[in-house]
Amino acid sequence: MTFFTIVRRSLTRRPVRTCLTLFGISIGIAAVVALVGMAWGYEKGVSNQLDAVGTDVVVSNMSGGLMPKVFNESLQAKVAALPQVVETTSILMQMLSVEDAPIMMISGREWGGFAWNKMKVIDGRLPKDGTEKAVVLGTLAAEVLKKKVGDTVQIEVDELPVVGIVDGQALMENGTIFLPLKVMQAATGNEGKINFVNIRVPTNTSQAVIKQLCNDIKVIFPEGRAMVAREVVGTSQGFRVIRAISWSTSLLAIIVGVLGVMNTMLMTVFERTHEIGILLAVGWRRRRIVAMVLCESALLGLLGGIVGVGIGALGLISLGASPGIRGFIEPDLNPRLMLISIAISVVVGVISGLYPAWRSSLLSPSIALQS
Amino acid sequence: MTAAATSIPGELIYQAIGLQKQFDNGKVLALRGLDLEIRQGEFVAIVGASGCGKSTLLQMLGSLDKPSAGTLNYRGRSLPTLPDPAAYRAHEIGFVFQAFHLLPTFTVLENVQIPMFEGRLSCSQRKARAVELLESVGLGHRLNHYPSELSGGERQRVAIARGLANKPAVVLADEPTGNLDSESALQIIDLLLDIHRKLGVTLVLVTHDLTVAERASRIIRMKDGRVISDHVAPTH
Repeated sequence: MTFFTIVRRSLTRRPVRTCLTLFGISIGIAAVVALVGMAWGYEKGVSNQLDAVGTDVVVSNMSGGLMPKVFNESLQAKVAALPQVVETTSILMQMLSVEDAPIMMISGREWGGFAWNKMKVIDGRLPKDGTEKAVVLGTLAAEVLKKKVGDTVQIEVDELPVVGIVDGQALMENGTIFLPLKVMQAATGNEGKINFVNIRVPTNTSQAVIKQLCNDIKVIFPEGRAMVAREVVGTSQGFRVIRAISWSTSLLAIIVGVLGVMNTMLMTVFERTHEIGILLAVGWRRRRIVAMVLCESALLGLLGGIVGVGIGALGLISLGASPGIRGFIEPDLNPRLMLISIAISVVVGVISGLYPAWRSSLLSPSIALQS
Repeated sequence: MTAAATSIPGELIYQAIGLQKQFDNGKVLALRGLDLEIRQGEFVAIVGASGCGKSTLLQMLGSLDKPSAGTLNYRGRSLPTLPDPAAYRAHEIGFVFQAFHLLPTFTVLENVQIPMFEGRLSCSQRKARAVELLESVGLGHRLNHYPSELSGGERQRVAIARGLANKPAVVLADEPTGNLDSESALQIIDLLLDIHRKLGVTLVLVTHDLTVAERASRIIRMKDGRVISDHVAPTH
């Protein structure tokens, strides 16, 4: 018999209560996995999309939203004139409800710009020119909308034919509807407006030069911001808001879990007052009693964490497959998130056990034996 | 079983001078200036009517409770101010209680190993020692039973084995036969006497049963929290 046997035995003596407590904490951890996994997935999707398009610097005016505000397309020419810039492309991107899909990414891209280049045509063709009133669908967008080449898609009030299905090389790209910028501007009533200027710089350009470029753009576009593509996710206020929402919602669920474990551990300590008295009488030190209670609550946390990660993973997979999210967010179920969640759960368990452990350490052996 | 006592026979183990214990803010006086000396190797029976303070005295000797006033020394050190009373309880004394106080969710073998967690034995050594102790008290065939599956006498044997787990110098037994039928009581007293003789442990036994007390080498009578007589039993 080891010390762990004693810890384990005290949890298995009341299996129903232990299971209910485990379930309580696992719901909190499942919330962490699901919500943070969605937030991370969204960030990863955006990051992959920028990589897939081949963008080095993004100019936009996020102003706290998830989709940037529109601005005048004349900015592109000013940006393109900067010495470090090799190529630019203007984009007007919006999230809209399209037919039966509650939300889809629609990207109006400047015809001839590099944003079209990396698309691999699976079926049909790309638009003939920048004025053709037609769309191409990412593979996932076609699947979600149940459309094929020759069908039509309604964007706002315009009924536009599907002329091609493309592989955009990233999940978010594949979940997007593409159309020429001018057509998008007309369809959404944003003539002359864009909300992104994507920039490419020469290969092997140093970070210092790119940072200087961002500063130069800030001068000509003070209300907006230029960000290094790979830093967009990390620095955008919108993503910060998503992260804050996902973590704070998870925190609430975790607090409920903490209260559940604490209640169980307190009950355990109260119920086992007599037993703790016996342990003290046979020479157990108070710190061993405290360690026993803390190990029990940490074990509850660990098991709750493992179960919670399982539930959260299932939830995340289900969410990722749901119609409103599929193709829009790629749920990020990575080992790091799982380990963080389990670690949180163990810490939650230990924190929940602190007060009960302290209570147990105060017990007088003679009084405890009489209980 | 191996010899536990390492001290010189006859060495002063416990010394109580003017020992007092009050409960309920002084409304109840359990011990009223008790004086007592117990030496190494003695078998002392403390007898007296219910409420005379004998169990309270045993709790003081076991460092389960602290006196309200007076002096209580163990081998010349003040018991109430021991820096590590748990170490004293773990290594110097073994407790045997009237109500057995076994842990119900642990087997007999596991119950006996519980005090050994405060020692330096490995897991296998703890188990081997517990088996040895249980066989010595005649429970080698009950190792994997739970306390609820045992008779009262068997439970008390487990408690005795547990009390000897860390080879204590003193065994403190609080009404060890109080919950047993007369035959089991006799067997338990025989066992305790056997342990006292073979291991040389000091045995302090609290009882209200004079037939049990007469087996001791010394009988201390208590009344109203004081010692009223203290004499060596005639048979010894």
